Amino acid sequence: MKKLSRPLAAGYVLLATIFVLAGCANVECHDRDDNASFTGAGENEVFVTGGTLIREIGQEPQTLNPVIATDVYEGVVNGGIYERLVRRDSRTLEFEPLLARSWEVSEDRLSYTFRLREDVKWHDGTPFTADDVIFSYNSIKNPSVAAAHLQSYYKDVTAYVKVDSHTVRCEYSKPYFLAFEFCGGIPIVPKHVFENGDFNSNPAGRSPVGTGPYVFERWETGSEIVVGRNPGYWGDSVYLDRIVYKVILDPTVKLQLLRKQELDMAGLSPLQWSKQTCDSSFGGKFRRAAYTVPGYSYIGWNSKKPYFSDGRVRRAMTHLVDRETILRKILLGLGETVTTTFYVNSPEYPKDTIPWKYDPARAKELLDEAGWKDTDGDGTRDKDGVEFRFEFLLPAGSETGEKISTILKEELSLSGIEMTIRKIEWAVFIQSLNERKFDAVTLGWSLGVETDPYQLWHSSQADSGSNFVGFSDPEADALIERARQEFSRAERVRMYGEFSRILHREQPYTFLFARKSTIAAHRRFHNAKLYPLGFDTLEWFVPAGLRRYAN
Amino acid sequence: MKDYILKRLLLVIPTMFGITLVTFLVIQLAPGSPVESMMSVEHGVKSDQVTQEIVERTKKLYGLDRPVHERYFVWLRQIATLDFGNSYRDHRPVMEKIVERLPITVTLNVLSIFLVYLIAIPLGAWSAVRQWSFWERASTFVLFLLYSIPGFWMAVVLIYFFGGGYFWDVFPIYGVHSRGWEEFSFFRKTADFLWHLALPVFCLTYASLASLSRFQKGSLLEVLREDYVTTARAKGLSPRRVLFKHALRNSLIPIVTIVASILPAMIGGSVIIETIFSIPGIGRLGFESVLARDYPVIMAVATISAFLTLVGILVSDIAYAVVDPRIGFEGKS
Repeated sequence: MKKLSRPLAAGYVLLATIFVLAGCANVECHDRDDNASFTGAGENEVFVTGGTLIREIGQEPQTLNPVIATDVYEGVVNGGIYERLVRRDSRTLEFEPLLARSWEVSEDRLSYTFRLREDVKWHDGTPFTADDVIFSYNSIKNPSVAAAHLQSYYKDVTAYVKVDSHTVRCEYSKPYFLAFEFCGGIPIVPKHVFENGDFNSNPAGRSPVGTGPYVFERWETGSEIVVGRNPGYWGDSVYLDRIVYKVILDPTVKLQLLRKQELDMAGLSPLQWSKQTCDSSFGGKFRRAAYTVPGYSYIGWNSKKPYFSDGRVRRAMTHLVDRETILRKILLGLGETVTTTFYVNSPEYPKDTIPWKYDPARAKELLDEAGWKDTDGDGTRDKDGVEFRFEFLLPAGSETGEKISTILKEELSLSGIEMTIRKIEWAVFIQSLNERKFDAVTLGWSLGVETDPYQLWHSSQADSGSNFVGFSDPEADALIERARQEFSRAERVRMYGEFSRILHREQPYTFLFARKSTIAAHRRFHNAKLYPLGFDTLEWFVPAGLRRYAN
Repeated sequence: MKDYILKRLLLVIPTMFGITLVTFLVIQLAPGSPVESMMSVEHGVKSDQVTQEIVERTKKLYGLDRPVHERYFVWLRQIATLDFGNSYRDHRPVMEKIVERLPITVTLNVLSIFLVYLIAIPLGAWSAVRQWSFWERASTFVLFLLYSIPGFWMAVVLIYFFGGGYFWDVFPIYGVHSRGWEEFSFFRKTADFLWHLALPVFCLTYASLASLSRFQKGSLLEVLREDYVTTARAKGLSPRRVLFKHALRNSLIPIVTIVASILPAMIGGSVIIETIFSIPGIGRLGFESVLARDYPVIMAVATISAFLTLVGILVSDIAYAVVDPRIGFEGKS
């Protein structure tokens, strides 16, 4: 065996070298204001067409049929291909016309009339008309179309009808503040392409025909999707000739492709953001941006369980979650602690509410107050013969969830609460939520710019809706219902402020963080502006001398 | 021999039936359904999407509201006409999806298996002959070291050092061909393709090298102890002749059994390597389908690999009889 020691030592040296070398490239970023580098174009800059953008997508879209797609990447790729009646302005987030030239809302707020542009053509040359809109609406409603996820949005729509060849009207059965967004935001597909044969398996799901500034070029399964500039676009032409969406599943490979400049734009993980992309060689080629996307993560407490039925216990739990430290250590500061269910950068979010502090002493008081005391002296709190032992459910593969749950378990055991952690695979996880078979759970919601809290918090949704924690509060219900029919945003903001105060008091969730998206984009792209929700690559251009790929 | 093969072929039918039944049940009875897995987005779940109503409606669309046995017979009836149905995720025919991804996975694995045999057999033979020498021990050590390094780690380290960006920019790390591949000449296309496959093939190869070369070494050592080898030596044959003509050939017989595992491995591939190197192969398809509960695709991949396994076993049995005259078909059937 003695002879083996020499190669063994060599092996150790080799491994040690690898780790040391791997450590070399890590430079910490210190208080850099990365977002400031996205200034838009200079005053005298000439906008020119041409150039290619190679952009990473973390997963391949399942289909590019916008009616049946359920993943986010479809939206990314189809963003330049398909258009809707209206869109939100990137800067103000207010609605502006797109395929609809203008619109009218009836006095009673029940009917929405959109007048369509007459100069729009599908990519195959067929003119776009009201028939396409109506056909798309009917497809969503068709039970044999795989669009169950959209159908729920159009439950209260009584009719979506054609008025004339370029006018459509959407009618609601009751006033609803999101009605305009739903009517104007319906995905529109070309009738002449989709009307024959099975809608779901239509080949256009793999080669979309839209009206937008980019035309679909090719899709290489599992590797890339390419779109090219639409020369006959009805609106202002875009500048970049081509956008390549590359499917890259491995984060290491992604970062390295960036460094090799074989990739122009990609999302970064928190670690890559704060440690691995701070060196000047990376900074010389790329700009980086961090912005908060609508959504938040949370721990949900099942209020139907004996331990979490009392608001005081739930608040005690929140006092036991050290959110500040978790944010700093685990998310590396990329996010902010939230206190309620609204998008943190919207007026609906009450900025003045201060998150409950990490305070184990206060938590113990609250638990005692609620009657959870260790009466039998076994080290675990109990009440009415029920021991405070619960299971914490999290989806497998959620790294942050895993770290948070480990910290929480430790913290709770110090306060006489026994928590076990169970990781389950995604499909099973969602099933457990739908069947209400859980004690506590961690998950994140993604939100719209404006959200209706009805699905999540109204007591009517406690049995089979998204309100799986079983939150039920008559005062909250009344506020949610009133806000749904309130068309003044200022008034809604006031109602939601009140509603948020109830959530803050009751703590049906321990609200965690609104995470930041972190992205790197190559410097040769000019007129790159950072908006509240990220970039609009349709504005970008590459000055002629800086182009990188021949076509 | 014809009778034997025919009998074995007929036996494939009930075996396949059993395999598909068990696979179908296991997959369908596993908790979760395709509907739940459609609900995820990057930063969580859309807050208005987790409702029982959506689940029910989608289940109905795919016929998942019917009892399992009924669904199995529907599937079986389809399969009889070689129709694997449509995927739940993108509604494309399953066969189309598989055919699209098959070539690259088969290439990857055939190359790797070929390399493993090419290197492992001479290496094993050499280790048997030079047993206990310093270099033999060193090579054993290196092989076992490699054997115990997980593939994903090796892949990442190789990418880090040889993928450019930090150190040497020697190998491409994404996909199977470069930009503008379509316009390359045939020779350049091939070279570009092989260049892209270098790292993934290495990662698939190195671990199997150790086991197969050990296997070969053991087998040869056993043969070298046989009486007929002693006889051959006693007759005064040169060591080279004894080794190559008599011992090595006989030591290869057990290796033939391994042929059975090659066929299914060709499409099984490696999920991890395909994922890291962004190679759109069948391993990734199968893995993603399991996570998404895309039943038609899972069943198709499972059925095909079960079939290949059965064929592989049959082929290796026949090959056994061909290379070793002591084995006859009569006793076996």
